[in-house]
Amino acid sequence: METGAIPIYQVDAFTDRVFAGNPAAVCPLDAWIDAGVMQAIATENNLSETAFFVPDGQGSADFAIRWFTPVDEIDLAGHPTLATVHVIFSVLEPARDAVTFSTRLGDTLLVTRNGDRLTMDFPARPPEPNDALGDVAAALGAEPAEVLAARDGLAVFASEAEVAALAPDMAAVAALDCMGLIATAPGEQCDFVSRFFAPKMGVPEDPVTGSAHCTLIPYWGGRLGKTEMLARQISARGGTIHCGHDGARVRIGGGAVTYMTGAINL
Amino acid sequence: MKIPYYQVDAFTDRLFGGNPAGVCPLETWPPDQTLLAIASENAKPGNAFFAPATGEADFDLRVFTPTQEVSISGHTTLSAAFVLFTALGFAGDTVTFDGQSGHLRVSRQSDLLVLDFPALPAEADGPLESVAAALGNPPQSLFTGLDWMAVFAHEDDIRALAPDMAAIAALDCRGLMATAPGGDCDFVSRFFAPGAGLPEDQVTGSAHCMMTPYWARRLGKPRLEARQLSARGGTLICEDHGARVTIGGNAVLYAQGTIEV
Repeated sequence: METGAIPIYQVDAFTDRVFAGNPAAVCPLDAWIDAGVMQAIATENNLSETAFFVPDGQGSADFAIRWFTPVDEIDLAGHPTLATVHVIFSVLEPARDAVTFSTRLGDTLLVTRNGDRLTMDFPARPPEPNDALGDVAAALGAEPAEVLAARDGLAVFASEAEVAALAPDMAAVAALDCMGLIATAPGEQCDFVSRFFAPKMGVPEDPVTGSAHCTLIPYWGGRLGKTEMLARQISARGGTIHCGHDGARVRIGGGAVTYMTGAINL
Repeated sequence: MKIPYYQVDAFTDRLFGGNPAGVCPLETWPPDQTLLAIASENAKPGNAFFAPATGEADFDLRVFTPTQEVSISGHTTLSAAFVLFTALGFAGDTVTFDGQSGHLRVSRQSDLLVLDFPALPAEADGPLESVAAALGNPPQSLFTGLDWMAVFAHEDDIRALAPDMAAIAALDCRGLMATAPGGDCDFVSRFFAPGAGLPEDQVTGSAHCMMTPYWARRLGKPRLEARQLSARGGTLICEDHGARVTIGGNAVLYAQGTIEV
């Protein structure tokens, strides 16, 4: 194992106050370390995701980024990316107002800032009707109006109250044929609300999920006929997501707050 | 407000083993809801907060899981003492804490940190069939107390357990430990507390307050080396002193930093 100190930041993303939004750990690296060590760090942190990033030696982007949950590496994650740019803008390179990241899948992600608002440009993952995920109604304990899927399943309900009241059977959610399961409905005080369950990835309920909005934005943009939307993820901690729909791309924006600054001793 | 933060792996001598705990030394106590919010944000099984004592101990200690304050946590107390001895330059070889469960002492004895706890009694009774069904394998015997203790014949029995967590949560106990003689140590165990939000605890100091008197009597030796066979694993050096037990272990500093709330 490599030895030495790795900087670590814990950031609450998609909120403007500490103890709300979704916590992520962010570890800036000079060069990639062993993936098993990154996984062990993410497991030890026990947050929904830990992001690692290095200067992009290929030159196509400013940085290369990877994301780990406590149990696995994943190919796209929103709130840890927002947390990462918060660290870059607030601590490491305050003169910047835009950052690009290359990912393991070959995507390039662009994040810009406008005041305290950070905005990520992500590929849209529009959902298609799907009746082959398994028994979504039984897993959620409530019958959705429709079920669609992209990477994640999307269960659409008629009212915010139905989504707020869900008490899913996590073992049944984990058995569905999708990575995570999004439950969504029109919002009472915003365009739409959602909750996100990913027990298969070790995250029973995620507080705020940027990547789920890659699927939510094209769905609601099409249904509401809007390109700019305000969304709330109605988990216990809660989060606010500013959404934009640009065809094959989506814009996912929010604030972030640094909770902890430290160093890991490898 | 800025608060120093340490993250410690307890009951292990290697990074990423043992049971993680967050440790926050305080000068004054913030409101209780801030302590709980910090513990929840940290997402570690145990979070220790300590401040200069108002009574006779060296420090006042409070311990929180991510969801609630708890009266005692062995690995969290060990971690607090480790931070005092190694990072904060505490002078002396014994530190004392006043906590919800009374007076706690932690001593350093060469490279071990040793907790001094009351022994927990165990009665040979309980619903053997319910426990057999919950663990998926019938134990040789069952004991009840604060937690329940299911005793098996072999270490391999413990490793192979794949418990039904819903069935364990339905039992009338805080947690259920499964224990057996160890292959290369005196005894091994695993600890399940799904009713307390911990399906499997990584290393459980308090469970050894019940197992130490049992194995000391059965094996006829007062000093025992124990292993907890969770995914991360832990090593505990246990001693039977009648009404008290001592539980010793190592610890490793994973990270240190500053929290801003």
